[in-house]
Amino acid sequence: MLSKSYTVQNIRTDALRDVSLDLWAGELSLIIGPSGCGKSTLLSLMSGLSRPDSGTVYAAGVELSALSDAERDAFRLAHCGFVFQGFNLFPALTALEQVQIPLDYLKVPQDRAARRAAEALDMVGLWHRRHLRPAELSGGEKQRVAIARALVKRPSLLFADEPTSALDSTNGGTVTDLLRRIAHATGAVVACVSHDPRLIARADRVLEMEDGRLLRDRRPAHSEPMEPL
Amino acid sequence: MAVPLARRILVYEWRRFLPATISVAFSGVLMIVQGALLLGIVSANALYVTQSGADLWIGFPGTQSADLGRAIDPGIAANLYMDPRIARVEALLLGAGDWRGARGGGTSVTLVGIDPRPDGVGLSKAMSPPVRVLLQEPGAVLVDETDLDKLATDIGQKAEINGHLVRVVGTTRNLRAMGGVNVVASLGTARMLDSAISASDSVTYYLAKVPEPRNISAVHAHLSSIPGSAGFEIWTAGELAGLSVRYWLLESGAGIGFVFATVIAMLVGTLITSQTLMAAVAASITQYATLRALGVSFPELRKIVIEQSGWVGAVGLGMGLVCSLLAAALARLNDIPFELRAGMMLFSAAVVLSVALVAGLLALRRLRHADPAALLR
Repeated sequence: MLSKSYTVQNIRTDALRDVSLDLWAGELSLIIGPSGCGKSTLLSLMSGLSRPDSGTVYAAGVELSALSDAERDAFRLAHCGFVFQGFNLFPALTALEQVQIPLDYLKVPQDRAARRAAEALDMVGLWHRRHLRPAELSGGEKQRVAIARALVKRPSLLFADEPTSALDSTNGGTVTDLLRRIAHATGAVVACVSHDPRLIARADRVLEMEDGRLLRDRRPAHSEPMEPL
Repeated sequence: MAVPLARRILVYEWRRFLPATISVAFSGVLMIVQGALLLGIVSANALYVTQSGADLWIGFPGTQSADLGRAIDPGIAANLYMDPRIARVEALLLGAGDWRGARGGGTSVTLVGIDPRPDGVGLSKAMSPPVRVLLQEPGAVLVDETDLDKLATDIGQKAEINGHLVRVVGTTRNLRAMGGVNVVASLGTARMLDSAISASDSVTYYLAKVPEPRNISAVHAHLSSIPGSAGFEIWTAGELAGLSVRYWLLESGAGIGFVFATVIAMLVGTLITSQTLMAAVAASITQYATLRALGVSFPELRKIVIEQSGWVGAVGLGMGLVCSLLAAALARLNDIPFELRAGMMLFSAAVVLSVALVAGLLALRRLRHADPAALLR
């Protein structure tokens, strides 16, 4: 049972109230709800970005909520991929370099890192744009580079926070399909937070939240066949 | 090679780091130039020592600065002449005069009496031997080339000092005094001009030349131990010069004022540097937060910021150094006392670089205390 509250200017807000859930590997779990419902807080607790006030988080067999800050850093580096709403790419780096950065910090040797970065970029269909900086890429392309950056370390957990809200419907659809295909192909836990209802049809599992509580947990019936990755 | 993120950010976003770089350069220049001017000005009080070739100076006990020397007992001369390690003994006189020349009215001048032999050591670096021997003519004086305008005179012209006729036979170099004017004459002429030092055995300093540098301390010790040494004091040239500089630096109002101005310059430079660098780092805070989310540890982030601050500091210092050298050249062209010393430049460089590094790390503190998740919104 996870709880987390924030105190801003002496006003206490309960962002999460006694939430309990399991996420499964190999599927895209979508957490939806109105803004302020606590879904991003849940994501940051599950990914080890922050710690719960009460309750425990287990991820990849590790009790995340018991780790120190430095240990959680190391856990994220080793196991977690992130895709952010605002892309959060480094303006100074080319697409290929963006993707290589996590591998550099994982101390992967240069030649292997470059090869894996190239493969990841190819997987999101952007090999031909590898030399471009974020300013020269479209929104959809930026998010695909960010997905490649999350993917390149072959994470067991992939978290996406509102990955489509800065994109049009076509690009949003592409990005969501990509996330789902990654879940199916790599067997990773893929958790996506969004308030975009268009995503529901593409998710394997939908968790609805409101006021810091989990309201519903369902599996939409899928009609769309998935292409292999 | 891994992707050099720190340098990539620095090069790509150089405009963001430019204000910090310029402020590093600015505070470096401010510190170096202020310090060099201060040292240049206070060093003017040690000019008699630094422009002379003597190794040991014998003067009035307790003298606080070379230009404040007083007459001493000439009896010490015998000991100096008898010491075989001393190759040359020479007197130097300091007197005062009232210069009256073409401009009308009087100008107070300091009279410096030296031995006019061509190989004399007193003020030997301020004039060439051919100019020095011109002083052998009674009534001949030298003034500094930078003081010709102040005295409204020129080589070959006549003037009066304390009512006696003198003729300017040449100029000295690097003998510009702080405030006053130095007029150099032979010992005989100086005694004729200033009645206070007119006695034939009146001496302000004895200058001794010790050809073997390793003998200097032994001679120094020997002279200090002879009976009657309470009537004089012995310094090496370096000691007396240092004494004079320190006296004006620390005990005169002018020196303290200048030190204060230098400290202010340092503080202002430091403040601007830290603020601009902190702003530059803070502007990239979402990039650092992204790295945090990706699992990059705080020490690794610190490395990036330290590398960037180091580059900002190094480039800024390079710019500052070039500007300081330009200032030195400009000062030299205008005969402004300007002492650019390596020690001072190293000190300024160390201060500015540490400020840059500390400012960078302070800027990162925000990241440490903030929730990385919140910075990514």
